[in-house]
Amino acid sequence: MSALAPILGDYRLSAPAMMPQPVRPTKGVPGPENFEVIVDDYQRRLYGFALRMTGNREDAEEIVQDSFVRAYRALAKMDPQQRAELRLQPWLYTITLNVTRNRLRSKRPTNVALDSLADPDALLNETQEGPDQPEAIVDRAADMVLVEQALLQLPMHLRAAATLRFVEGRSHPEIAEILNQPIGTVKSHVHRAVRILRRILGPQVGRIVASENSTIEEED
Amino acid sequence: MRCCDVEKLWDDMRDALQPHRDAVIKHLRACPPCQELYEQYEGIAYCLTCLPPPQPPATLVPKIIEHIRSAVKATVPDSVAKIDSPLGLLFVAFRETGITYVALNRDEGDEAAFQRIKARLGRSVVPSTAPAWVNETLTAFFRTHVSRLDRVDISDLTPFEQATLRATAKIPAGEVRSYGWVAAAMGQPNAARAVGGVMARNPVPLLYPCHRVVDSTGRLHNYEYGLDVKARILELEGCRSYKR
Repeated sequence: MSALAPILGDYRLSAPAMMPQPVRPTKGVPGPENFEVIVDDYQRRLYGFALRMTGNREDAEEIVQDSFVRAYRALAKMDPQQRAELRLQPWLYTITLNVTRNRLRSKRPTNVALDSLADPDALLNETQEGPDQPEAIVDRAADMVLVEQALLQLPMHLRAAATLRFVEGRSHPEIAEILNQPIGTVKSHVHRAVRILRRILGPQVGRIVASENSTIEEED
Repeated sequence: MRCCDVEKLWDDMRDALQPHRDAVIKHLRACPPCQELYEQYEGIAYCLTCLPPPQPPATLVPKIIEHIRSAVKATVPDSVAKIDSPLGLLFVAFRETGITYVALNRDEGDEAAFQRIKARLGRSVVPSTAPAWVNETLTAFFRTHVSRLDRVDISDLTPFEQATLRATAKIPAGEVRSYGWVAAAMGQPNAARAVGGVMARNPVPLLYPCHRVVDSTGRLHNYEYGLDVKARILELEGCRSYKR
């Protein structure tokens, strides 16, 4: 029996509860007057996205800063109706992705995959209350680094699709809007990304999922 | 349902609204090769959803706000108003945060004056009429020779330039001090020459009184608008203790 059998049994992973929740929407029509609230609401999400896309904390910080400046300028130029009709979250993702693309294009791609992202301290804090043994925690941190690095090996368009789909938990129509692509293209990019990741991560996937899954079952 | 059709529907199942959900599950239960592929697919997806959300540094929000502020400053033009004064026409640039530039009339025409201010500020300017607070600030200066420095914005300048101008503001009206005195007042007694440089490019003359700074022998030394103007301002303030 494979390590994933329990997952297949009840389709636990397909449950919407596994997907990251959308951030609380900024109240009112977005504009320069409430921009500080927008920054506060979306900075974590966009920083996370930029970090997954670049693999580099400094790059991610600068990308988020530039993205918010662009968003501010664009909002300031919009008339009230345009602001009212704006779908803020996908729009912010699109801006962040464009800034990321511009930045990565001007950098040597080899810089990217070498940085380790997972902050072992953060992982330790996060798992402290669980029943994991210390070795398991270290294993998990190492596993997450493997996953992060595999993601960074994808071509940028596939990395964007996979990150938005699985890490950010966006729906296909939303990703299509963010990437300005047909839904069919988005689906096929997500699929191709997973195939490549499967090749990179290979048998390690089963081990990672098995160790994660045992934790889930203990919670039940 | 064929294997290739099922594979295309896997990812849709995450959205929970998949109309073919039951058919896919039925196929997977009956088809071991698809089941294995599906498990791998879900395994990868699961690994990705497990990535811990990165914590942005606590400094990120203040950095973003500061970034926006300086970007906005670069794009929002300063207003420039013409104001009559005992020294003739003044061109006064200002924005919400305070007066940013004061130019005495050089009889070069409005357009040339605007261009000069634009070049010095490094951003665009728009002609405007002076709001009451700008008028009052200048009127009060000529009446009392004391500046409302809270209405003057020198935040574009370097920290050294700002410190120098603040030191000049300590010189009482009707008196003069040397470049060396200003340097010493800033706690940098060797910086007299650098102080001279700052005086020469003071964007807000009168309000930050660079006209009260003279050389160590009491001579007027230099002034952007000429020594006659410098002497005139000092005389308006009741100062006689300078040399030509």
